[in-house]
Amino acid sequence: MNDFTLIRDIERYLEGEMSEQERTAFEALRQSNPAVNEQVLAHRQLIQQLEQFGHRVALQEKMDQIHASMAVNDVLSVSQAPAQKKVFTISRRLVTNMAAAACIALVTSLTTMALMQNASRQKTTAQYEDVRRVLNNIQRSQNALINDMNNKKKAPANPGTYGGTGFAISNNGYVVTNYHVIAGADSIYIQNTKGEAFKAASVFEDISSDLAILKITDSTFKGQPLPYSLKPQRALRGEAVFTLGYPRDEIVYGEGYISAQTGFNGDSAAYQVSIPVNPGNSGAPLMDSKGDVVGIVTGKQTTSDGIAFAVKSAHLKRLLEEMPKDKLPKKEWNHKNRLEGMSRVEQVKRLEDFVYMVKVYN
Amino acid sequence: MKHNQNIERDRELLLGLTRNDDRALATIYTENYPSILRMVLQYNGSEDDAKDLFQEAMIVLYEKAQKGEFDLYSKLKTFLYAVCRHLWLKKLQTGSWQLALPDELSEVLPADDTNTMAEHEEKDHQFRVMEKTMGSMGEPCKTILEDYYIRKLSMQDIAEKFGYTNSENAKNQKYKCLMRLKKLFFEQYKF
Repeated sequence: MNDFTLIRDIERYLEGEMSEQERTAFEALRQSNPAVNEQVLAHRQLIQQLEQFGHRVALQEKMDQIHASMAVNDVLSVSQAPAQKKVFTISRRLVTNMAAAACIALVTSLTTMALMQNASRQKTTAQYEDVRRVLNNIQRSQNALINDMNNKKKAPANPGTYGGTGFAISNNGYVVTNYHVIAGADSIYIQNTKGEAFKAASVFEDISSDLAILKITDSTFKGQPLPYSLKPQRALRGEAVFTLGYPRDEIVYGEGYISAQTGFNGDSAAYQVSIPVNPGNSGAPLMDSKGDVVGIVTGKQTTSDGIAFAVKSAHLKRLLEEMPKDKLPKKEWNHKNRLEGMSRVEQVKRLEDFVYMVKVYN
Repeated sequence: MKHNQNIERDRELLLGLTRNDDRALATIYTENYPSILRMVLQYNGSEDDAKDLFQEAMIVLYEKAQKGEFDLYSKLKTFLYAVCRHLWLKKLQTGSWQLALPDELSEVLPADDTNTMAEHEEKDHQFRVMEKTMGSMGEPCKTILEDYYIRKLSMQDIAEKFGYTNSENAKNQKYKCLMRLKKLFFEQYKF
């Protein structure tokens, strides 16, 4: 039996065109030959599919018609709408009055806005405090004095007007600190833990993120390879961090954790950090447990305790990338961290050599 | 009991849809489309998005009604709304459209709906295959099959329309066409 006769028979069988005799014969064939039976089922399904296809095409057409008639109605109602609109005639006097009222409203709202902005700015400055240190009347520690005597390199006799902290970002004398530490400086000195002081100059400042990059200009300065790197990823809330800074003449260690991903007033370039911060800590590096730099301490909130802020390291990195090429420190902040796995005491010992006191004279 | 009356009315509309009553279809369409359109526009969709979404939901409703086992337990509006939501989600997942799903549609669906949607997807797939197959059929096969199986014309009419000397000849032609359709269809569609 070839395909054609089979399909004819199936079709006649399903349509009920077969005589009683043919029908019994075909049903017997269906029973005995599973292949034929399968063909019958498939055929029936095919016809069903075809009918459903037809229904759906018809439905789609009908819906499109309905849709089109609706769209026409919509268009009609829209085009009728403007005609129904009432026209107001505005008299000349009314215009003058309205203009006067509008002017008064405008002046009032502008004044209010100005006042409000002013008030909020005042409030903001009151809450935020830079943590640079006024050095005038702070005694220098004995330790530093002894170091001074032993060394030929003398720090200037004047202890400086302001002080902050800075840390090395390259092995050839580039140091990062806060802009507010060096703002308005006549001269800047960098002093290490041994008490040696070097002259430095600001090469790049970014007021918006409160960061400044200094270059040690003294030829006597000898750099060492950095044991840490700048962490490009952001630190997570709750991550333990520590800092080294100069709130006194001696380097001081502090420990805390990242408390929020944004800084003062929702500043997304900074973290909120819970860490003891005192005047002089400005510009201190914020390190994670591996000893990588995650931020730079900038300030604290005066209205409540234990809230400090730090600029994110990613921001510093972006700043370094934006710097003019000729001033650029070598791209060394990507190298491998050599502090991982050390005890904290060891880490601090190694880090001390790269964290400097920044002294500013003006 | 206004609620019950509404359900009663919806049931009648649905019965009309089962009987292929054009008026019922038009009523359901015109009464429900505006709210879907509003919703889609509100979420920055276009009018075409709304039309596609709503018409597909109508197809789901139609398929369910045709099966004859659709027991309306909620308002027709609610059902269409839920289906639209589901289709929206689907389109989002397959990346065929970018419109974010509004929160108010993220509510849990009645359990039955996942079944409905799976069935619809299967049917939709069958439809696409059949559409493609019929598209690739040549003339006069396409028209003969459509005339006989969809428009339900008699073989006599078809024979006259196509100029066959008698309906037996037309039938033979139809069998040949069926053979081709069957072959093409089952090549692409596997059960």
